Amino acid sequence: MSPKDAFALAVKEVIRRLGRSVLTLLAVALAACLLTALVLISRTAETEVLRQLAKGGPLASIKVAAAAPDPSQLANDNARPGSPRDLGPQAARAIGRLPDVASVVPVITSRMIFVPSAGAPGAGRPEPSYFFDTAVGADLRDPSLLPISVLAGRLPAPGSLTEVAVTPGYLERLRLDPAEPEKVLGAELEMGPPRVFDELEEQTFRALWQRTEIVGVVAQEAAPGGIVTSIEHTRRAQRWSAASDGDTGELELSNSPYTGLVVVADGLDRIGKVRRQITDIGYSTSAPENLIASVQRYLNVVEIVLTAIGSIALVIACLGIANALLAAVRERRREIGVLKAIGARDRDILFVFLIEASLLGALGGVLGSLGGWAAASAVGIVVNSYLTAQGLLGLHLGPSWGVLLLGVLGSTLLASVAGAVPALKAARLPAREAVSES
Amino acid sequence: MAAGATISVKGLAHAFRSGSGSVSALDGVDLEVPAGGYASLMGSSGAGKSTLLAILGGLEPPQRGSVVVGDTDLSRLRGDGLARYRRSTVGFVFQHFGLIGTLSALENVELATILTRLPRPARRARTLALLHAVGLGQRTTHKPGELSGGERQRVAIARALANEPRLILADEPTGNLDEASARGVIELLEQLHAERGCTVLVVTHNRAIAGRASQQIALSRGRILAATCHQSGEGRRSG
Ligand SMILES: Nc1ncnc2c1ncn2[C@@H]1O[C@H](COP(=O)(O)OP(=O)(O)O)[C@@H](O)[C@H]1O
Ligand SMILES: [Mg+2]
Repeated sequence: MSPKDAFALAVKEVIRRLGRSVLTLLAVALAACLLTALVLISRTAETEVLRQLAKGGPLASIKVAAAAPDPSQLANDNARPGSPRDLGPQAARAIGRLPDVASVVPVITSRMIFVPSAGAPGAGRPEPSYFFDTAVGADLRDPSLLPISVLAGRLPAPGSLTEVAVTPGYLERLRLDPAEPEKVLGAELEMGPPRVFDELEEQTFRALWQRTEIVGVVAQEAAPGGIVTSIEHTRRAQRWSAASDGDTGELELSNSPYTGLVVVADGLDRIGKVRRQITDIGYSTSAPENLIASVQRYLNVVEIVLTAIGSIALVIACLGIANALLAAVRERRREIGVLKAIGARDRDILFVFLIEASLLGALGGVLGSLGGWAAASAVGIVVNSYLTAQGLLGLHLGPSWGVLLLGVLGSTLLASVAGAVPALKAARLPAREAVSES
Repeated sequence: MAAGATISVKGLAHAFRSGSGSVSALDGVDLEVPAGGYASLMGSSGAGKSTLLAILGGLEPPQRGSVVVGDTDLSRLRGDGLARYRRSTVGFVFQHFGLIGTLSALENVELATILTRLPRPARRARTLALLHAVGLGQRTTHKPGELSGGERQRVAIARALANEPRLILADEPTGNLDEASARGVIELLEQLHAERGCTVLVVTHNRAIAGRASQQIALSRGRILAATCHQSGEGRRSG
């Protein structure tokens, strides 16, 4: 019997016991649905948690500080830096040439005075009406290389002196609702780096005022600071403040051209190596590698447990297939004998039953995987609305063909394994059942 | 048309293992049926008729003795070899018809040709010709449930002929039929036997039916009681 004919016969058998077939199919579909939904949700949870950890930037990012390394701190994610050390374009180029380094983005921070414009949301409410904060300037030409994620609006244009982005900390400072970050977009923010003058026993500030527009709200980990600007903006500010005289302790002035670098390694597993090499060049580094590794370990355990639960459900459903087919074999002993009497070989009978089992598994797998995807998407929508209400980044649940394929192939395979027992039993039935009395 | 096969059985013994010990079903059976012969097999229930048929039809390898059908020594065959023998040499007709309920008359007959891997276009033609030959040319799409007992047995006979067998084995083919249908089925078997020249062995409880065969065999407790031969033609008087 050709595979095509065996398939046709198996289909007829499935249709013959339609009620029982539908029930077993439903069980497989539900189990496959559970499995794919659980795997999809746990996968998404893993990537989302890591994305939140990396603040939207690359996971394998390393922060380099303008300081000498403290060798005892290498195993520490947030290494305590040693004494200050200038970090300039030359060091950045040297780090960029290291193997396993994908990119190097310089960062310059600058202490500034900020004055939210009158009439802007939240302006004027808390006293005083100005405040000090650190502006974080980075090369914004390729934001994907930076640990910055946009919550609303967009990043300032590279090189712009008139566009800034603020962090949720800024919203909090102005008592604005973090769930509605877009309300602050378009507001004016006057800002300027101070220069300190020592005049007649009295210290005075003069700021280089710049009127800017808030174009985005972002979460960022590039450097501590509440405002994000272009690196050109903070470089200009740094130069202005550097000409101060007298006591400038509050300005945290530094002679280093760059405050730090954001380095991206070629993979999570390369972070340790790159950090050691940067230490050899002579700079202090920090990276969330240990945090990410342990989070990944926990998430893996969760994924394994959820996958196991789904798999057990699928195994139970496939036992249902085995049960239904065993009953069918018992009821059709004589018919199987007749098939043999008219010339079917043992393996023809085996194939018909195996095909029947895998057909139920495959159909159930397809229905269940699609259902699981739908369920996971529904969960995603609910979770998303919750996350956005919390002022957090929404999650993204893409069509994961791998997981869907796993659901279909898994249930087909399990079903054929489950079908093997009744199929073998049928194939081994003696042909003389054809002339038995019962 | 394939000619009939001779049946030659010598010293055939067959026992079934059961819980307590073994039950002897056949005990030293010797039997000769000439090629193209038409034999009836009678005997009370449990005499071993079905067992003899099962062995002759290759449903089960003989345990002891020699069984040769045509040029095939059945005691040498196992598994797939027996399946090939059943496919190519034997056509079975059962008391219970043995049709598959989900398949139409046409598909039931075609199934036998599928098992021999007959090329697809030839299948349909041969199947339709056979259904015409058994008088069911107009009922090809009907499922067994939509046919009378006699009609079902005609479908089964068409299926038995699908692979041009050299031996037809019928186990109480009229056991589930009323008298008129039974006569129709027997006459069909006789007609096909005459037309195609295959050897036919019919198990029956009906003396009248048995009496129409050219060779009558009686079986009791696994042994041949008597075998009588008539001149061919004598048994075929219409009754
Ligand atoms: N599968 C079997 N297992 C055990 N005993 C069997 C089996 N088939 C038949 N027998 C026994 O073999 C003997 C002959 O059976 P069978 O050939 O079916 O008789 P008949 O067809 O003449 O009524 C009986 O005693 C029956 O009980
Ligand atoms: Mg019997």
